[in-house]
Amino acid sequence: MAANIKEVKAKDFNVERSAEEDRELSFKDESCVGCGVCETICPVGAIKLGSVGAIVRNDIDESKIEIDEEKCVLCGMCSVGCPVDALEFTVDGTPISEIETYPKLISSAEIDDDTCIYCKACERACPREAITVARQLPDRSKLVTGEIDIDKETCIDCGICEEMCPADAITIDQKGPEDFDIAVDKDKCVYCLVCKKACPVDAIMAACRTCSYGEYDLDPKDAEVTGKALIDDDACVRCGWCEEVCPVDAAKVEKPFEGELNLDLDKCTTCGACVDVCPCDVLFFPKSSAPATLDDKLMKDEQFCIYCGACENVCPVEAIDVKRTGIKCTPTKSKSWQKSIDSLKTN
Amino acid sequence: MPKHIASGLKYLAALELVRDGYSQKQISKMLNVNKSTLSHYLNGRNISLGSIEIAEIVREFSPRDFLVFTDAIIEDKEATKTIVKTCLVNKYSVEVKDSCIGCGICVDTCLIDAIVLDDLKAHIDSDICCGCRICAEKCPTNSINILEE
Repeated sequence: MAANIKEVKAKDFNVERSAEEDRELSFKDESCVGCGVCETICPVGAIKLGSVGAIVRNDIDESKIEIDEEKCVLCGMCSVGCPVDALEFTVDGTPISEIETYPKLISSAEIDDDTCIYCKACERACPREAITVARQLPDRSKLVTGEIDIDKETCIDCGICEEMCPADAITIDQKGPEDFDIAVDKDKCVYCLVCKKACPVDAIMAACRTCSYGEYDLDPKDAEVTGKALIDDDACVRCGWCEEVCPVDAAKVEKPFEGELNLDLDKCTTCGACVDVCPCDVLFFPKSSAPATLDDKLMKDEQFCIYCGACENVCPVEAIDVKRTGIKCTPTKSKSWQKSIDSLKTN
Repeated sequence: MPKHIASGLKYLAALELVRDGYSQKQISKMLNVNKSTLSHYLNGRNISLGSIEIAEIVREFSPRDFLVFTDAIIEDKEATKTIVKTCLVNKYSVEVKDSCIGCGICVDTCLIDAIVLDDLKAHIDSDICCGCRICAEKCPTNSINILEE
């Protein structure tokens, strides 16, 4: 029988078996959050979770999981269980997420470009730096409420307006002692009228667009911000931060697991391993609310928890209990697969 | 020498197939032997008696040894399948338990293509199975039961 071939590239690995079918498992350490779901679901005990606490604190430089290619039978269960797509499994080159007979976790994160206003709140909040908002801003000159003009005949080349302009829109080109050019860059000018007020000789004229008829001739289309919000699926862990911070409800996130996160603050020693390992910025140390106040040792924003269990695994004093009560997964006809998926639930 | 034993095995299989009513044309295809050689076999010519005797001994091997040996000297999968099916008379009933995870190791190990995967579970064709038990031993979840009927 064809033996498994393992290929290790830095902290990533591939395990492959080519016979009747080509089966290949690829691990990407960068996507891995060290939760240990793969170790739990592996039916042959081929996967071992590394010292994740030390790894996320850069105390040791190792891969978050180890695989014994002698034991691995390339069934693909780890790939199905992985909530963050760090393990990809392909059969004859097709990822099993695209093969109907294999179950897959139901999870997604999407930003609707039609609703998105490109404010970048999600990009700033995303704990995985998985979101990039590429936006094109409107032409600023079209949004200012007027424009200025300088009467060169009256202008005495004093340079006060140039010096005072907060937008650096005015330039004086000094060609000779009495020879100069003065120009206003309309793309930069914001019609603040500082120049007009400062001009000692009243050489600056202002033409307001909010004209005497009281109409403001600004076309709303000129103010439109266009763009695209991109989620890097490899980095996204479906934590829901983007959905929470989005002011226009353009982000929608579906998490694969349901559960409960319980902290035992009596046991907690505030070592911070859980805070460091959490891929979702759920756990944090509180800021002292007032001098000499004793706050809770550790706090949580559970709405962002994906119940991966990484924090429970790294906690050295068993102060964290992650319960998984629901696994959202597409159906499978295989009883053993269903059983394995159900085994991810905690009792 | 291996070629002689191979001829002996093909001879034994050919005899069985003739008995089963196959034409020489069909048999020559099934065993990958050209028709004139086959006709020599069936007429008892061009094959040393020693080869037939050794082939008879090989036939008494356990199903696994017979299969592995035949596979090694025949070098043709379809012919191996035919020889194994015609020379081994025992029937097997195979059951794959629900603990099967569909890893496909059995499919890869089966020398006579008796196993396919369907819905993440192995399905073993009892008619083809020769009872070698290689798959059952390699199965990581002990999900294969092979019973001699």
